[in-house]
Amino acid sequence: MTTPCVTLNDGATGFQGGTATTDLITILDTVDVPIVVLRRDFMLVCFNKAAAGVLRLSPSDIGRASRDIAVLAGLPRLEEQCGQVIASGVESRADFRDGEKWFVVRISPYTTGDRQVTGTVLTFTNVTAFRASIDQVIYERECTKAILNTVADPLVVLNADQRIQSGNRAFYTMFFQLASLRTQLKKLLAGGHGFQPVEVDHVFPGEGQRTLIVDARPLSLPGHSERRVLVTFQDITARKQAAAPNDLRAIAERKEELWRSEAFLAEAQRLSLTGSFSWRVTTDEITWSAQLYRIFEFDQGMPVTLELIGTRVHLEDIPLLHDMIERARGAGTDFEYELRLQMPDQSIKYLHMVAHGTRDQDGRLEYIGAVQDVTARRLSEQALGKAQSELAHVARVTILSTLTASIAHEVNQPLSGIITNASTCLRMLAADPPDVDGARETARRTIRDGNRASDVIARVRALFTKKESTTESVDLNEATREVIALSLSELQRNQVMLRAELVSDLPHVTGDRVQLQQVILNLLRNASDAMSGVDDRPRQLLIGTEREGGDRVRVTVRDAGVGIGPQAMDRLFDAFYTTKSGGMGIGLSVSRSIVEKHHGRLWVERNDGPGATFAFSIPGEPLAPEGERESGESPSISRYDG
Amino acid sequence: MIAERPLVTIIDDNESVRESLPDLLRELGFAALAFSSAEAFLASDCVDETKCLLLDILMPGGMSGPDLQRELTRRRQPIPTVFITANGDETVRQRLLAEGAVACLFKPFSETALLEAINDALGVS
Repeated sequence: MTTPCVTLNDGATGFQGGTATTDLITILDTVDVPIVVLRRDFMLVCFNKAAAGVLRLSPSDIGRASRDIAVLAGLPRLEEQCGQVIASGVESRADFRDGEKWFVVRISPYTTGDRQVTGTVLTFTNVTAFRASIDQVIYERECTKAILNTVADPLVVLNADQRIQSGNRAFYTMFFQLASLRTQLKKLLAGGHGFQPVEVDHVFPGEGQRTLIVDARPLSLPGHSERRVLVTFQDITARKQAAAPNDLRAIAERKEELWRSEAFLAEAQRLSLTGSFSWRVTTDEITWSAQLYRIFEFDQGMPVTLELIGTRVHLEDIPLLHDMIERARGAGTDFEYELRLQMPDQSIKYLHMVAHGTRDQDGRLEYIGAVQDVTARRLSEQALGKAQSELAHVARVTILSTLTASIAHEVNQPLSGIITNASTCLRMLAADPPDVDGARETARRTIRDGNRASDVIARVRALFTKKESTTESVDLNEATREVIALSLSELQRNQVMLRAELVSDLPHVTGDRVQLQQVILNLLRNASDAMSGVDDRPRQLLIGTEREGGDRVRVTVRDAGVGIGPQAMDRLFDAFYTTKSGGMGIGLSVSRSIVEKHHGRLWVERNDGPGATFAFSIPGEPLAPEGERESGESPSISRYDG
Repeated sequence: MIAERPLVTIIDDNESVRESLPDLLRELGFAALAFSSAEAFLASDCVDETKCLLLDILMPGGMSGPDLQRELTRRRQPIPTVFITANGDETVRQRLLAEGAVACLFKPFSETALLEAINDALGVS
């Protein structure tokens, strides 16, 4: 510490030079605690060797103000503290951090022999290791606390007077976990009155489950401003147990009620031949009610899979099943299907299924549905349908014969006149002399009766021609959709899979909407009928709309049915020509006349594959200017899968 | 002359028939009169004179052919009757014949069939 000594001996600092000082400095240099001496004006006067090493001070720092020395800037209040120390003569402390090291700085007054405080002495005690051990202790304590708080058993530390020193969370929650209790206690402590006793159930180790009534009331102690609360615990376990049999009875009753309602549901399912199911689409987890097992005739509790279901579904309905599964997986919308089952004894069951799709919080799709065995109903419907069609046939025959009789009556009257008049006429001309005037008169009457007969025919024709056909702007897409909606259940019953491809920018046509819908309906029914005997391929029906050559609209109905033979092809549109047992043979001829009335044409083509395609095209209305059009410019196809 | 020519009376609501038949009957050598309803015939003085009735079955709004036939029977003035009808219903014809009609002709009928029926009615062979 040679250099600081020189400074210390500088008369300007007020420090006294001499051997004693030199000795002191030599002694200080042997202390490994950094010591720094500042003058009243905070100028560095001297420092020992340890200070040079630890605080990286150099001799050139001597005489510099403390605020200009980088390391001392770590003590922001140094000047203020030194000032106080000099003024009061009382030592002060400060925490000081230098990198990883922590120091406690003791700031002491530097008193000269004449009791003058001429500066301050700063000693830096390294407390880094100490601090680290405190941190360790805090860490250990927090750890212990955390562990104690996670222990479910209540733990309590008592002091010598058996007072609670501290407890873990389990202890406090044992009584004070109930929100109502906490809120009430808080209110009491805040100056409130009134406390609603709270019943607390708790399992005490060794004691078992106890029921306690916790009550509390505020205590106002004279001379104590602090509010206190008296908490009482009343063990009512024994009283509760005495009352328990009643509870058990209530539970038994509830159980029986539940069992009864479950039994009721099961019975209701059995009686109504309705089973219920749930189907988690993502995992294909399927749950069935007992009745559904009975309907499918599978053993109760057998794991249900889509494959297992497939083994029971009628071969012809397998495409329908696949179609259903595909649609269910995609859309998540409710669906309704009719399926047939083929049972091991070859009997057929008709099922009506309704399913409702729901999504859970994670968006996973689940269907809840009901399946009803409608076999009896379907069979009686079929019988009814057969009876109806026979009845309809009889009715048609009856109507036709009545109609014929009425037409015959009306025509026979003038015919009778014609023949009689002609006979008379011949006789008059054959007479001698011929009665020419009479003959002329009868000939005239013959002509008049001929006209009468012709009038009758005209009247009949007028009767069967609907005169008031209405003309309006028709959207054939819309018209087609309505027809589809009307026919959908019938098509499904016939196991027909309908696909609709309707282009969106279809021009409207001018005409009679109902008549055009009759044409579409007729084509759909024909297509469905043509496929009624098809069992070796899907009964696929495609209905489509498109623009034809820019200004015409075409509707196409394509089936996968039996197709049309070469002879039938020529006569297909003739009235009263039919290949169907129940058909009148007027559908296509009427359809063609309707289409022709709309300045269009109706035709048929054989498919490359099985079946035939019927189509008609009608001139479209001129398109409205761009701005008034509803649909977009680019044609897009809206699909309708039924 | 009238006595020589038997009176054949036609009762039919159809004008063509009323106009054409009398002329033909006259050509065939009968006296002929036509009425448009049974009521008009009953009100006339021809009931006694008539030797044969050519009677329509259905006449809207009034007495039917068979009604008239029954009425005449009730009055004890039965007249041989040939029914003429535009409805070719065989069961109706059979029933009428069973009830005593001489014949039942379906319109349009031939001159020959007419003459045959009238001759039957008049008892001429």
